[in-house]
Amino acid sequence: MSAPIQSSSTSSDLFKSTINEYLDNLPEAVHSQLYRSPETCLAIFRLLPSLAKFYIMTLLFQETAIPYADLNRWIKPQKATGHHRNANKIYQNESIKRLKALNLLKEIRKKVKHPTTGKLTTIVFVQLNPIFRQSFRDALTGFRDGIPRDQSEKIAETIEEAEAESEKTLETSSVSSSSGPSLENLFATKFKITVGFLDSYCLAKWENILHFMVGSKIKHYPSIGVLTLLRYSGLMELPSDRRHRQSVDADEDNFVVDDHYIDGERGPPSGEELKSLLITKNGFQFLLQDINSQIWTLLLQYLKMSEKLMMNPVDVLNFIFMLGSLELGEGYPIKVLSDTQLIMLEDLVDYGLIFYPKSENSEDTKGRIFYPTRLATSLTSESTKFKTASTVLNEQISNTDSNQGKIIIETNFKIYCYTTSPLQIAILNLFVHLKIRFANMVTGIVTRESVRGALINGITADQIITYLESHAHPGMVKKAEEKYAKKMEFETSIGNSYTADQIKYEVLPPTVVDQIKLWQLELDRIQTFKGYLYKDFANDFEFEKLLSYGEEIGVIVWRDKIHRKFFVTSDGNAQLIEYANRILRKSASRSVTPST
Amino acid sequence: MSNSIDVSPKDDDYFSSDDGSTDDTADSHLDLLGKRVRNKKGVKHKDALEAEEMEKAEQKAMEMDRPAEFVPDSVSRIFGYSDFSFLKLKPDHASRPLWINPVDGRIYLESFSPLFEQAQDFLITIAEPVSRPSFIHEYRITTHSLYAAVSVGLETDDIISVLNRLSKVPVAPSVVEFIKQATHSYGKVKLVLKHNHYFVESSQADILRMLLHDEVIGKLRVHTGDSNDADSNDDELERVSPASGLAIGAISGPANSASGPSGPSGPSGPSGPAKSSASAPDPTVEDIYESVIGEGDDGEGDLDTVHAFQISTASVEIVKKRCQEIDYPMLEEYDFRNDLRNPNLEIDLKPSTQIRPYQEKSLSKMFGNGRARSGIIVLPCGAGKTLVGITAACTIRKSAIILCTSSVSVMQWKQQFLQWCTIQPNQVAVFTSESKEMFTGDAGLVVSTYSMVANTRNRSHDSQKVMDFITSREWGFIILDEVHVVPAAMFRRVVTTIAAHAKLGLTATLVREDEKISDLNFLIGPKLYEANWMELSQKGHIANVQCAEVWCPMTSEFYQEYLRENSRKRMLLYIMNPTKFQACQFLIQYHENRGDKIIVFADNVYALQEYALKLGKPFIYGSTPQQERMNILQNFQYNDKVNTIFLSKVGDTSIDLPEATCLIQISSHYGSRRQEAQRLGRILRAKRRNDEGFNAFFYSLVSKDTQEMYYSTKRQAFLVDQGYAFKIITHLHGMENLPNLAYSTPKERRELLQEVLLKNEEAAGVELGEDSENFIGHGVSKRLKTTVSRATKNQSSLSGLAGGEDMAYVEYSRNKNKELSGAHHPFFQKNYYKKKKK
Amino acid sequence: MARAIKGSLVECDPSIKALIVKIDSDYRDIVIEELDDTHLLVDPSKIPFIKRELSKLLSENMYNLNEDNQA
Repeated sequence: MSAPIQSSSTSSDLFKSTINEYLDNLPEAVHSQLYRSPETCLAIFRLLPSLAKFYIMTLLFQETAIPYADLNRWIKPQKATGHHRNANKIYQNESIKRLKALNLLKEIRKKVKHPTTGKLTTIVFVQLNPIFRQSFRDALTGFRDGIPRDQSEKIAETIEEAEAESEKTLETSSVSSSSGPSLENLFATKFKITVGFLDSYCLAKWENILHFMVGSKIKHYPSIGVLTLLRYSGLMELPSDRRHRQSVDADEDNFVVDDHYIDGERGPPSGEELKSLLITKNGFQFLLQDINSQIWTLLLQYLKMSEKLMMNPVDVLNFIFMLGSLELGEGYPIKVLSDTQLIMLEDLVDYGLIFYPKSENSEDTKGRIFYPTRLATSLTSESTKFKTASTVLNEQISNTDSNQGKIIIETNFKIYCYTTSPLQIAILNLFVHLKIRFANMVTGIVTRESVRGALINGITADQIITYLESHAHPGMVKKAEEKYAKKMEFETSIGNSYTADQIKYEVLPPTVVDQIKLWQLELDRIQTFKGYLYKDFANDFEFEKLLSYGEEIGVIVWRDKIHRKFFVTSDGNAQLIEYANRILRKSASRSVTPST
Repeated sequence: MSNSIDVSPKDDDYFSSDDGSTDDTADSHLDLLGKRVRNKKGVKHKDALEAEEMEKAEQKAMEMDRPAEFVPDSVSRIFGYSDFSFLKLKPDHASRPLWINPVDGRIYLESFSPLFEQAQDFLITIAEPVSRPSFIHEYRITTHSLYAAVSVGLETDDIISVLNRLSKVPVAPSVVEFIKQATHSYGKVKLVLKHNHYFVESSQADILRMLLHDEVIGKLRVHTGDSNDADSNDDELERVSPASGLAIGAISGPANSASGPSGPSGPSGPSGPAKSSASAPDPTVEDIYESVIGEGDDGEGDLDTVHAFQISTASVEIVKKRCQEIDYPMLEEYDFRNDLRNPNLEIDLKPSTQIRPYQEKSLSKMFGNGRARSGIIVLPCGAGKTLVGITAACTIRKSAIILCTSSVSVMQWKQQFLQWCTIQPNQVAVFTSESKEMFTGDAGLVVSTYSMVANTRNRSHDSQKVMDFITSREWGFIILDEVHVVPAAMFRRVVTTIAAHAKLGLTATLVREDEKISDLNFLIGPKLYEANWMELSQKGHIANVQCAEVWCPMTSEFYQEYLRENSRKRMLLYIMNPTKFQACQFLIQYHENRGDKIIVFADNVYALQEYALKLGKPFIYGSTPQQERMNILQNFQYNDKVNTIFLSKVGDTSIDLPEATCLIQISSHYGSRRQEAQRLGRILRAKRRNDEGFNAFFYSLVSKDTQEMYYSTKRQAFLVDQGYAFKIITHLHGMENLPNLAYSTPKERRELLQEVLLKNEEAAGVELGEDSENFIGHGVSKRLKTTVSRATKNQSSLSGLAGGEDMAYVEYSRNKNKELSGAHHPFFQKNYYKKKKK
Repeated sequence: MARAIKGSLVECDPSIKALIVKIDSDYRDIVIEELDDTHLLVDPSKIPFIKRELSKLLSENMYNLNEDNQA
């Protein structure tokens, strides 16, 4: 097996490439609209590679266009060790490509008279997108406020004032962490809005969604909006979706949920129906990501769905990017939001990105305040901060203990997980037959049945193994290291370098890993192909002719030359018949007709 | 007379609570606990309650332990009644090593805790080990285990308080209640033979008084001259001076240098170095622990005055039975140093004999208070069970009888006695079908087999004479080897015919498939010690073994027939699967080239012969005569041309072949976990085990997509719980390219299939259907069978290949074996014929 | 005169093939033609049924470690 994955860094990289891809593909007009918002400009800037950032900072205060060639000159020339220069060049090209794709860098071709020869030559100049330049300057200098934040409108309590309160809320939330009742408690109590409160609020909200995904019994189902999005994004599917997918024998990855209802062609599934959603392979993968990546995954899906729902993508993106620049613990009036953004606000409340208290004065809609939670404010943080924020949250999820969440799996397939997190228990329950629960540890056993249950849900053996590996108890890691070192030493001492190379570093018992994989293989004991069996050929000539043609176009799955039979796929059949008719007509025979 | 026990387990409340168990590790402890709790509530008869009500009561009992404020959360329902998250962790829980399940008394122990060593020593005394892999060990407290704990001198309060100190969560009231219920009456009364008089002994005078008021027991008391006072008077009970210490095995040398009065628990006990480095959460844990485990035995002697009354030899059995009935089962202890009637045996360990720490530890449980307790010691094969038995015999120093499962192991026992002790050869008598010796002098040793002693009919004159000698005298000590394989009925017969003061059962696995485990407990005594396999392996006491299950796909012809046939014939088809044969051939070749010595095991005699003959290897099965067996075994050991032998079930136990380094199993006894463990045991004592990087190999060949897969996984369960891991091999690389690969053409495979199909169903059976027959030295039993023809017929029809059918194979096999040895191994042949002439 | 028969080609281990043939003999109308040790032509609509039956039959050969550990 591969080394334990660094889930946080890989998945955040993954998200970056996905969001970038999305942004790149927006039309220029949308880009122009987006760049009117300084917050968006700042957020997009953060997502760029460093060299691209450097170009922007250099061009930012250049009033005039500069020759394209200058871009090269700003880079320190590398020594001619082919490989490195290449890499550098690739990096530079990559950065410029990104800037162009985002319409941040404009090329201007000018005919210039050569100062000495007087010849007219075309020189390429580059210039920053003027709208972006203005907004980004504003964002950096604070010259123009995107959102009014003068003191009179700032509602939030400062952290110091509310310290005592904050501790109290945290305490309540840790007792019954993340379950339904705590949500109620939070709403029921009259409280001051503190960072501590917002943290427990958003975690409760978010975990409730995750609990729904793993099939925990929950008191409050996530909203229809959330459920719809979970289905739309392929993280979960209706039992009917699953049957449909299995009947067409499609993999989740290439199976698109029937989303006609979004276009209004068919009625959407009811809320009740949606409560029967089941987790998919992608959904399980989603659970393994850190919390920020999870949120971005959903927000991207949200963006895609909002387009279908004819929401203005500029408004949507601006709102998301704006959230990243807001201050945690402060309140903001909703009057700065557009109509689209007001709709979005409700959805973001469902995800726990925003806390939006009900106002006692229902008429006073314009004066209402919303509070971004940590989930929102850490969205566009730089990568280091990004991790920190997510680490903070992840630690809170597992109630911060050095041993938390660590799993021991023994060679007898028994599992012991040091955890207090109901969410982690629920995740384990997807593929472990759980048995006993103590305050800080649960026991269970990995059985053929429990793993098959997960496999049938679409969770893969590799996902299970990766999960166990990445949560392995330090004791297991230590033992694996010792074993590795010992074997290595032994093989090296007897000069067996070949064997030494083959020594694997195995955190999990290899027999357990093998068995989980074998259980997966066992599910696919047969392979099926739809198509036609050709037989009863009159002579070798016909058989050979058709078979060789079929082989040529790659549609023959099985052949038996002795008995003159072969099997052709459904897709290839038409072609083969056509060919048969052609050559057989030539040889004045009757055509082959498939009997159906 | 004296020590025989004749109480049916059914009459015994202690054992009857265990009726539903399938073996010792699988009995439903939940039930036990439930019943105990209910009993306390005054529900005396379980029949009185409807099943439903019982369930309700049980649920209530469980719920009662849950605090009212416990709110189940979103995942509680997954665990049902097993959500114990309401048990609050102690503030310093991180430094305490275990959790206890309040419902079934299961204990989860962290092996990486600094307190692990101490906790393990304690738990092995009070609980049954369930699984002991790398990180978390599971134990379970059962009535049996508590009985054993009490019998080695632990008190109820000590058990509870040490548990509480080791546990991360408070010990639930239900567990405390269970321990109290199970221990309050156990071990309070002892039956002691002293100065040739039997005494009922207890440290609690009130219990004795209660017994004296009992309608049955009271009348049986023998009044000695000086205590004929009123019943209420303490003086009616004789005070006995507490036992002082005793060193095990009166050897001179390092083994007992450190043992003072606390004897062997000294060097290996809890005061080892592990303790000083341990960061105890609570300093008193160690103190308590020490007082309980380390010095507990002395404490008992020092603190308590012991009271006793005498009963006559004739009434021993009645008193024992009555004590069981009134829930005060008697512990049997043998105060051998005060036994003046039986003459001492001059036996000592040789100074060069080294006892390993775990052997010493196990003996300390037996001799903890200066007397010999009867019981069972469980050590993996190859871990030196024999030396434990020998050391015990050297400690007691009275005449002893040793019973084993085959005449081969009889010879091995005798040889070991002479090797480790100072005993004279003429004092070690062997009683087998070949040899009917008696020792000379007052005291001595007799080594025999269960079948020799248990057989009741058609004895030869010589044999009868020896039997009379054995049954007519009193034995200080009896060693029962491989106790787990002996059928309960035979066992009972043995235990009742031979009068022995102390009984020691030895075994590698207490796993029994025949639900007779409680009989052992009753007939011999509690389990005194059970070693940790992985620990012994890590310390180099037993070999490191790589286990693998090799999947052999069935060829389509074989599988088609498999699907058509009944289950017996199916067995034959999956054993004779050509792919399996090829795998076997390949593995033999591979390991012979590596320099391994290989044993191939096949329960099925037909397959055994087919495989062995086709591959040109010698084989031993039930009908192989003793001398031929010895010859083959010797060649395997010393002839570098004989590197592979095939063994039937007869090789499962007791055959000691330290040269073997690789095992291949081609057919086995259904899902028998015990057999799997025994077979593995054949390579645990591999001579080369301490070589750097040495691994022994254990392959189990399994035909894919057949019932064999089911059995195979089941068989492994015990070893897997000991921490062994079976690697699944789905493909043997290079097998197709093996030169001379058997059955490589469809024609050969078809011929094999035809041959297999022509075999009658009986050929499909394993060698002998019952455990009862599996261990008997077949060189002996064959003769028995031919003479006792009625029994033979019964057996053959029941269990396939036995008796007459067995005989049918004899000629055939003997000839082939001879041929083989002649054709392939000149040395072997020479050796064979030379011996034959003798 | 060549013929083309519509159906699903099943590719599997010899033992699984034998099992499918067995299922066919119990329920009929599943296997259209046996091709070789590892291939069969079957009625496409019966594939989910075949998979279910196979899973059932193969499960009989599996021992669940859990059976052993029920306390």
